[in-house]
Amino acid sequence: MSTAELETRLRQILDERYHHRHPFNVRLHGGTCTPAEVQRWIRNRYYYQTRIPLKDGLILTKSEDREFRRGWIRRIHDHDGDDARTGGLELWLRLAEAAGLERAEVASLRNVLPGVRRACDAYVEFVASHDLLAGVASSLTELSAGPFLGERAEAFRKHYGWIEEAGLEYFLSRTRQAPRDAQEGLAFVLAHAQAPEDRARCAAALTRKCEILWALLDGVEWGGRIPRLAPAVLLRPEGEDTLAVLPERAVRVSANGREILAACDGVREVEAVAGAIRAEHPGDERVERDVYEFIERMQSLGVLELS
Amino acid sequence: MTSAPRLWNLVAELTYRCPLRCPYCSNPLALRDFPEQLTAADWGRVFGEAAALGAVHVGLTGGEPTTRRDLGEIVSKAAEAGLYTHLVTAGLPIDEAGLAALATAGLRSVQLSVQDAEAGASDEIAGTACFERKLGFARAVRARGLPLTLNVVLHRRNLARTRELIELARALDADRLELANTQYQGWALANRAALLPAREQLEAAAQVVAEERALSPRPEILFVLPDYFRERPKPCMGGWGRTHLVVTPDGRALPCHGAAALPLEFWNVREQSLAACWGEAPGMNAYRGDAFMPEPCRSCPEKARDFGGCRCQAYALTGDAAATDPACALAPSHGLIAAARGEPRSEDWRYRAP
Repeated sequence: MSTAELETRLRQILDERYHHRHPFNVRLHGGTCTPAEVQRWIRNRYYYQTRIPLKDGLILTKSEDREFRRGWIRRIHDHDGDDARTGGLELWLRLAEAAGLERAEVASLRNVLPGVRRACDAYVEFVASHDLLAGVASSLTELSAGPFLGERAEAFRKHYGWIEEAGLEYFLSRTRQAPRDAQEGLAFVLAHAQAPEDRARCAAALTRKCEILWALLDGVEWGGRIPRLAPAVLLRPEGEDTLAVLPERAVRVSANGREILAACDGVREVEAVAGAIRAEHPGDERVERDVYEFIERMQSLGVLELS
Repeated sequence: MTSAPRLWNLVAELTYRCPLRCPYCSNPLALRDFPEQLTAADWGRVFGEAAALGAVHVGLTGGEPTTRRDLGEIVSKAAEAGLYTHLVTAGLPIDEAGLAALATAGLRSVQLSVQDAEAGASDEIAGTACFERKLGFARAVRARGLPLTLNVVLHRRNLARTRELIELARALDADRLELANTQYQGWALANRAALLPAREQLEAAAQVVAEERALSPRPEILFVLPDYFRERPKPCMGGWGRTHLVVTPDGRALPCHGAAALPLEFWNVREQSLAACWGEAPGMNAYRGDAFMPEPCRSCPEKARDFGGCRCQAYALTGDAAATDPACALAPSHGLIAAARGEPRSEDWRYRAP
């Protein structure tokens, strides 16, 4: 693979696998998402935003080159802000407010869905466990982000007019920053990936990043699904607990779990189940997380079905 | 070492009659020694006592349980006792009307056997033409919304069609697929030379299973390499007398379907309470826990996982039911397993006969 071929390969990966093709993004830009879906996406995607400066900090620690670090540290300022500028994280919280969400609730991250959390954590973990070249290569989704975010701002204006224009500042600022970041990252990768195996590793890193962004949106969609007790399940008491009995399997469920199962009534969405349990336990910080993890576990065991 | 015995699963062998003649049948070789003596009323009492002991599941099996005309009554008694009723069937002689009656009586789930992925090969193993009828029965189960497990016993003649078996299970909308490698006891031990696969066949099948699992979460696929090729014993029945109790057609209460062949005293539910049969019969207590274990099992950390393997296999191959399961590479008798793997294979088998 020559340098030119590597760039072609990277752009081909983005064309085929970047999340602009994910069904959720297609609907988001097509204008068919409900306000609740747009809010769910904003609330969950904020977790990704919070991981970006951590990821960039990890990349900084991998470089011995002062010039590289001077360039790359700007990305952290872009997200965290500095004395002169409002950062991307603050702009995202303003987007959340403009979409009718509570800033404190979004910032608390307590409602982040488990699939979203796993995907974002996987990105940080990937960068932590790989070398500088693979870390920079994984950031090259920015090559697609510039044009994609311009399209997104337009879609929001057109379809989701209930979100105030001031909330769209994040997208506009990133349409300016992302192409610059992408060009710097691409130049670094093309200059440093000389050996064939390094070029293959860069392609693999970008593929992995695309998978992570894809999984993030799968995780967002999961929050809108409707859980119900699988028809095959028989619930029966077992001391103070409950047994959920299935063919060849019995799952012990505590009183707390029983409360969650009861709230999975086949009408409420996953997020609404968490909301109902939250209303019963207002003081407990971990309520939503516990509910989501429980629903995921019961889904994997066949106790709950999600439609 | 592990939790105390708790009866979770009652295996109700309702009859040893069966229209199929599979050469790996796990029923006793001497079928006539087990007359069908428990009535539906007897079974009702057994179910109530099992539920009182904590049992959650009942597997209604055999032989072929749907050869019993009073199966509907038996199912309703199990459901009344609060047990999760699971029918283990070959799919005949039961028909759709029979299934409807069982569902009304309280049947909750079905396990259906097929012998291969296509009619000719499947019917040859079953010893009777039944494949198409089985498919029709599977569709009827799913049409009623009942969970369906498809069970296939694997051996050297059908392992090459593992992918087709998974595709069949998917086409039938089965929830689970049990790819059960032949356990070499009873009829299967007698036919071992015709059934025992080559290691390469098993490894190819394991690869297919891994690929198909990655493709789709449905059906849930159970596939475990057989103990003859794993160098470690299987955790047989989840441990002797620990979670399962088998009741035979004539009322004997056993820790597993093969244990009747062992020189042990088990009790009969027609003469004793189920609690006594489970808790006090000398045979049930013979190999509970780890006190019976010789070395190298007794000091082995893996005994908490495999419970020392299979007592019936130890007895069948070494003559000593307390011996270390020969499947374990650490067993003094492991050479028996290694030798069997290298034995010449045969194309001939002997069908199960009454």
